[in-house]
Amino acid sequence: MFLTRSEYDRGVSTFSPEGRLFQVEYSLEAIKLGSTAIGISTSEGVILGVEKRVSSSLLEHTSIEKIVEIDKHIGCAMSGLTADARSMIDHARVSSLTHNLYYDEDIQVESLTQSVCDLALRFGEGAGGEKRLMSRPFGVALLIAGIDKDKGPQLYHAEPSGTFYRYEAKAIGSGSEGAQSELQNEYHKSMTLKEAELLALKTLKQVMEEKLDCKNAQLASVTAEGGFQIYSDEKTDEIIKALIESQVDEDPALSGN
Amino acid sequence: MNATVASEYSSEIHSVPIEHRFNPYSDNGGTVLGIAGEDFAVLAGDTRQVEGYSIQSRYQPKVFNVGDDIVMTANGFAADGAALIDRFKNQLQWYKFDHGGKKLNIKSAARYIQHLLYGKRFFPYYVSTLIAGLDEEGKGAVYSYDPVGSYEREQCRAGGAAASLIMPFLDNQVNFKNQYEPGSDGKKKRELRYLTLDEVLELVRDAFSSATERHIQVGDGLEILIVTKEGVRTEYFDLKRD
Amino acid sequence: MNHDPFQWGRPSNETYGAYNHHIANASVRETDHQSLDNFPKMNTQQPIITGTSVISVKFKDGVILAADNLGSYGSLLRFNNIERLIKVGQETVVGISGDISDLQQIERILDELETTEEVYDSDGGHNLRAPHVHEYLSRVLYNRRSKMNPLWNAIIVGGFNDDRTPFLKYIDLLGVTYGASTLATGFGSHLAVPLLRQLIPNDVDYVNVSEEQARKVVEDCMRVLFYRDARASDKFSLVTIKRSAEEPDTSYTFNFEKELKVENQSWRFAKDIRGYGSQQQ
Repeated sequence: MFLTRSEYDRGVSTFSPEGRLFQVEYSLEAIKLGSTAIGISTSEGVILGVEKRVSSSLLEHTSIEKIVEIDKHIGCAMSGLTADARSMIDHARVSSLTHNLYYDEDIQVESLTQSVCDLALRFGEGAGGEKRLMSRPFGVALLIAGIDKDKGPQLYHAEPSGTFYRYEAKAIGSGSEGAQSELQNEYHKSMTLKEAELLALKTLKQVMEEKLDCKNAQLASVTAEGGFQIYSDEKTDEIIKALIESQVDEDPALSGN
Repeated sequence: MNATVASEYSSEIHSVPIEHRFNPYSDNGGTVLGIAGEDFAVLAGDTRQVEGYSIQSRYQPKVFNVGDDIVMTANGFAADGAALIDRFKNQLQWYKFDHGGKKLNIKSAARYIQHLLYGKRFFPYYVSTLIAGLDEEGKGAVYSYDPVGSYEREQCRAGGAAASLIMPFLDNQVNFKNQYEPGSDGKKKRELRYLTLDEVLELVRDAFSSATERHIQVGDGLEILIVTKEGVRTEYFDLKRD
Repeated sequence: MNHDPFQWGRPSNETYGAYNHHIANASVRETDHQSLDNFPKMNTQQPIITGTSVISVKFKDGVILAADNLGSYGSLLRFNNIERLIKVGQETVVGISGDISDLQQIERILDELETTEEVYDSDGGHNLRAPHVHEYLSRVLYNRRSKMNPLWNAIIVGGFNDDRTPFLKYIDLLGVTYGASTLATGFGSHLAVPLLRQLIPNDVDYVNVSEEQARKVVEDCMRVLFYRDARASDKFSLVTIKRSAEEPDTSYTFNFEKELKVENQSWRFAKDIRGYGSQQQ
C-alpha cells in the first residue's frame, strides 16, 4: 500500500490517479492522534469540552490551552497539532475584529468558520495569484462554537481539508469514534445547557483513560447572555461531582468508582 | 570685485510659477434632504444637474434605492457621487455572497460607507452623503457623512447646495428648536414628538420649493424616496424651472 | 560675455550675476537630451487639436446627432476633415468634442470593445447597445480622471435602450454623466440647447416630435453655432438613427450623412454687431 502511494505523497497539491490528495488525507489522520474534544449545541447555547493530557505530574495543567476565545461571541476547541491552530485562531480573530470594524456588528458564526477554512488550503498557490503560505496542510481540526442574532447557537466542525459542517453534537480526536456514538445516543433537540454540560463530561469520561477531574478536562460555553466563557476549575469540579452523583443514582454498581 | 551690475530687471518681483494643472473636481449643484420618522424615513433630492451656470439636465435622479430597504444619495460632484453609490451597491452584493444572503442593517451599511469614504481620504469623494432606512427596531434612521467619512445618526439632515438654507428650517420644524410653549414666557420648550409621514412630506415639499426660490442650482423636479416596513416607494413633484 | 560653448553669448556670471531664469518664463534648465530624459512624466494638462460642439436631440422614433468636421489648433483652422461622429455596433453613435488625439484613442477603445463583444456574443443574442457603450465610456473617463490623466473630451452617446426607446446621454473628462432629451457639448450647451429646448420643453415631450421637426432645429443650431462659435465650421456630419415604423421592435435605420453644408447663411446681421472688436459705437 505504501509503495503505490509514495509517488503522489510528494507534492501537497498533486492528485493521485484515483483523485485523492494524500497529504490532506494524512492530515486528517493527525487529528485522530490528538486528545478528544466535544461540542454540543442546544437552544440555550453551545458547550465545548476537551480532554487535556497531563503527561507528567510536574506539568502545570493550566498551560495546556485547548479551548480559546475568538471573539466575545465565538470560541473554539481544537484537536491535533495544536500549534497549527495558532495561525488559524489568529486569522479568525482578525476576521472577526475586521468584520466588526467594517460593519459595526458581530460576525456570523458561519462566516467566521468559512474565513478560517479559506486559510486551510493555502498550502498551494491560489487561483487568484495568492501566495503559498504553508508547506503542508494544517494538522488540526477545530470545533467552532458561537452564537449570532440570525441563527442562534451554532456548532461547526472545520477540517484541514477546508470543508466545514454544522453539527448538533460532534466529537473529534483520538476518542472521537466512541464519543460520537455516545453523543448520537444521548443527544436530543430539547437538551438544556445543564444537560449538555453533563453529557460532554460523561462522554469524555467514557473515552478517557485517567480519572476525570478539573486538571484533565475543561469546559466552556457560549450563551446569549454570557457570550464565550471558559469554566473555572471549581465550576468544572462541581459538574463532575454532579455527574458522578447522577451516575450513582442510575447505576448503584458504579458507586465505588 | 564681486560686485554685480544691477540690470534693468533688478526690481522684478520673483514669483513662483503659477501651478496650472488639471482640476479633477466640479460642482454639479443640487440639494438633498433626509428625515427619519417613528416607523419610516424619507430621502429627497431635486432632479436638476448643473455645471457653472448651465443646467445640464432637468431630470437626473440622484437618490437611489440601493437594496435591503436602504436609500442613498451622494450630492456634490456628480461623478464621485455615482461612483460611491456604485461601489456601495457592489459591496452589498458581496456582503450577501459572503454571509448567506443576510440582510444588511442600516447601521452596518452606515459603518461600511465610512470606510468607502475614508479609503479615499487623500483624494476624497467630493460629496455629502446621506442614507436612510429602518433600524433593527423598525424605527426610522438617517445617517449623514462628511466627504471623508465622519458620520452620525440624526433625525434629519440637509446636504448639498442649499443645505445652509434648509437645515435651520428643519431644526425648527423637526426638532422644534427655538419653539416654546405659548404663554410660558420662553421658559418651557415645546415638547418633542415624532412627525407623521404626511407632515414630513409637507415639510420636504416646502423646503424644496423655498430652496428653489433662493438658490439657482436647485429646481426642476423633486424626487422623494420613502422607506416603510412595506418597502421603498417613490414620489415625484414638479419644481419651478427658472 | 560668457565664452563657455554651451553658454556662449550670455552675460558672464562673474560680472552680471547668475542668469535669472524667471525672466520672461525662460526655461529653468538648458535643454539637452539628458535633461529631457530626467523630465517628469507628464499627463495631459490641456487639449491641443480640438473639436468644438456636438449637438443631439431625441425624437419620436430615434435620435439625431451632429458635429462639424473642424480640428482647431488654438485659433488656427488646422484640419477640416475630422469625423467626430463614430458608429459603434449596429445602432449606436458616439459624438466626441475636445482633444482630437484623445478622440482617436477613444475610437480605438470603442473598436476594441466592439470586437470583443462580437467575439463573445457570437450567438447574436446580446447586442452592444447605447446604454452599455455609455456606461463603459463613463468608467473609462472616470478612471482616467482619477489617475489625474484625463481624456480631454465631452462625449454624447445616442441610440436605443433595451426596450427600444431612444437613448441619449453625456460624459465628460471628469466622468460626470447625465441624460436628457436635448444635449450638447461645449458652446452648443449655451447656443444650441436653448433652441433645442424650445422644441422639447420637458424631457418626456420628445414623443411628440417628428424626425423632420428635430432635423430642422438641429440644422438651425449648426447655423447659429457657425455664426457665433469662432471654432466651428460650416461643414458637418449628421447621424439619424430611427426605429422603422413597420417593425419597431427589431428593425432600425442608421443614416450617416457626411459633408453637409450649413444652408441659408445670411451675414447681414454681422455689420450691426457692436462691442466686441476694435470698432466701438
